[in-house]
Amino acid sequence: MSTAEAGWKRTISDVNDGILVNTRRPHPAFYVALFLAAACLVLGAVLWVVQITLGMGMAGLNSPVYWGVYITNFVFWVGIGHAGTLISAILFLFRAKWRNSVNRSAEAMTIFAVMSAGLFPLIHVGRVWLAAYWMLPLPNTNNLWINFRSPLIWDVFAISTYLIVSLLFWYMGMVPDLASLRDRCRGFKRLVYGVMSFGWRGTARQWHHYETGYAFLAALATPLVLSVHSVVSWDFAMSIQPGWHTTIFPPYFVAGAILSGCAMVYTLLVPVRWMFNLQEFIRESHLDALLKLTLLTSTIVFYAYAVEFFIAWYSGNIYEQEIFAKRLSGPYAFYFWVMVFCNCLFPLAFWARRARAHVPTAFVICLLVNVGMWFERYNIIVSSLVEDFVPGSWGHYEPSWTEMIITLGSFGWFFFWFLIFCRYFPIVSLSELKLIMPPPLRGKSGGGSG
Amino acid sequence: MLTALKEKPPRKGVYALFEYLDDTIAVIERLRADRDEPQFDVFTPTYYHELEAALGYKPSGVRWFTLTGALLGVTLGFALCLLTDYDWPLVVGGKTAGVYSLPAYVVIGFEMTILLGAIGTILGMLWLGKVPNPKGQIYSTATTDDRFGIFVYDVVEDSELARLLREKGETQVYS
Repeated sequence: MSTAEAGWKRTISDVNDGILVNTRRPHPAFYVALFLAAACLVLGAVLWVVQITLGMGMAGLNSPVYWGVYITNFVFWVGIGHAGTLISAILFLFRAKWRNSVNRSAEAMTIFAVMSAGLFPLIHVGRVWLAAYWMLPLPNTNNLWINFRSPLIWDVFAISTYLIVSLLFWYMGMVPDLASLRDRCRGFKRLVYGVMSFGWRGTARQWHHYETGYAFLAALATPLVLSVHSVVSWDFAMSIQPGWHTTIFPPYFVAGAILSGCAMVYTLLVPVRWMFNLQEFIRESHLDALLKLTLLTSTIVFYAYAVEFFIAWYSGNIYEQEIFAKRLSGPYAFYFWVMVFCNCLFPLAFWARRARAHVPTAFVICLLVNVGMWFERYNIIVSSLVEDFVPGSWGHYEPSWTEMIITLGSFGWFFFWFLIFCRYFPIVSLSELKLIMPPPLRGKSGGGSG
Repeated sequence: MLTALKEKPPRKGVYALFEYLDDTIAVIERLRADRDEPQFDVFTPTYYHELEAALGYKPSGVRWFTLTGALLGVTLGFALCLLTDYDWPLVVGGKTAGVYSLPAYVVIGFEMTILLGAIGTILGMLWLGKVPNPKGQIYSTATTDDRFGIFVYDVVEDSELARLLREKGETQVYS
């Protein structure tokens, strides 16, 4: 905690007014950001419609690279979605107090990131109206069911469960805060927030069941968050494709997901706390803790990259060795080195307290981590698929403009929903923040250091 | 002065607002010590374990909803895989239907456990907490901010209980 924060004295009476400021006075920058996000979203949506109309030839996908930017985006967005549940569930169970200032926005980010991820299998299959038939466990006309031994169907279960559970966790956490908001509004707004808060009264009995349920949800979400990216990694690791068929994938993917998620939380919180004047509640010490988590997961990812190369060499498998040699210096080496610099080397700056305390530096590094994590997924998918066991079937892949604009559209979709959330919902959990402050006792002036 | 009352309470009684947690707890303990313990509701801005202890709550029944959901989930998850497999065996990797493929079905079983466990938990929280409740009365908006509220039902203005409530907080009588 910096010296400026050491004297931080706030009581529970300051929480509602201090935090709900976003629902009253949006900064002009908010509207600029919302317009840009909406513009990207519309552009992406138009290109998707064009792709549906003209066909999948608009994407750069080819034989043997059947998975390209769309699946890269899918894995990227699922990864981004991991920090929210990590912060809300795992850090809740560990009673890490710093989470209380950032958990709500991180959970919101999770929901919108998984919503973005969910779009890409639909975009990727082309004929989106048949997606439910292909993806969900439904029998075909001969009453033959899907193959439950396929990692792809595991993934459908994992991602759907993750989206639903994260949504329930986030929304239930927000119900008492929506009631606070309802009681501070009039007219139509009061009605809307009243419906959204389910008529929450805040009786001790309601809180009693609420707290127990919240702890159970955290306990259920903890193995879930670790399982989801493990299952995503099995989409690759369960195949025999060189570069994919490796047992390190589950922990490597989970660590990478948390790395990209924490970096994204930081990237979002820095402008949000400025835009809505929340510096007093989302404080430097909270951002510092996020950066330390980013550094920790970055070192795990660094280690995983090294182990992949070691195992490729140590296995004696020539196909595996060839793939990894080409990652270093082959046609896709650019993507590999961007990944190494962005995910492993730049975050090392966070060992220095000065780099963590200097917001512009940390912001740029977190942006670079996000770039690096996107390149990591691209690198894993494309550089492995282009070359398999038979040289005659080797190929090449470059993303098409359609794929890139639809990718841009997914960022628009993500930021659009996130900005709407920041405008109309409590960005910081009111009830949890009140809880970590010293309870108001007669004869003791309250003041928090949470 | 209690100015922020939104709805008229459905029953007679005294409503009191307190600034301090320890005052609220003292009043709750006094109410519970009464031989004819009056019926009362406690409102709080967030959950405090001290309040729960004073109110003498037993462990929440939400856990049974979680357990039921989770057990239902794991059963349904494995049943979905096994029954469809027995219905039309799909031989993949030389492995026939049923128990030989159980390891692959663990993922589906696990995800369904979490999914229905979470849904069960939510249903338990809603059911036991009596939400959604369109007629839910909050009495004072201050209790979703920074005050503690106690509504003691069927208490008249000049009773000893009403005096105790007045002594510790701001009160309003409904008759």
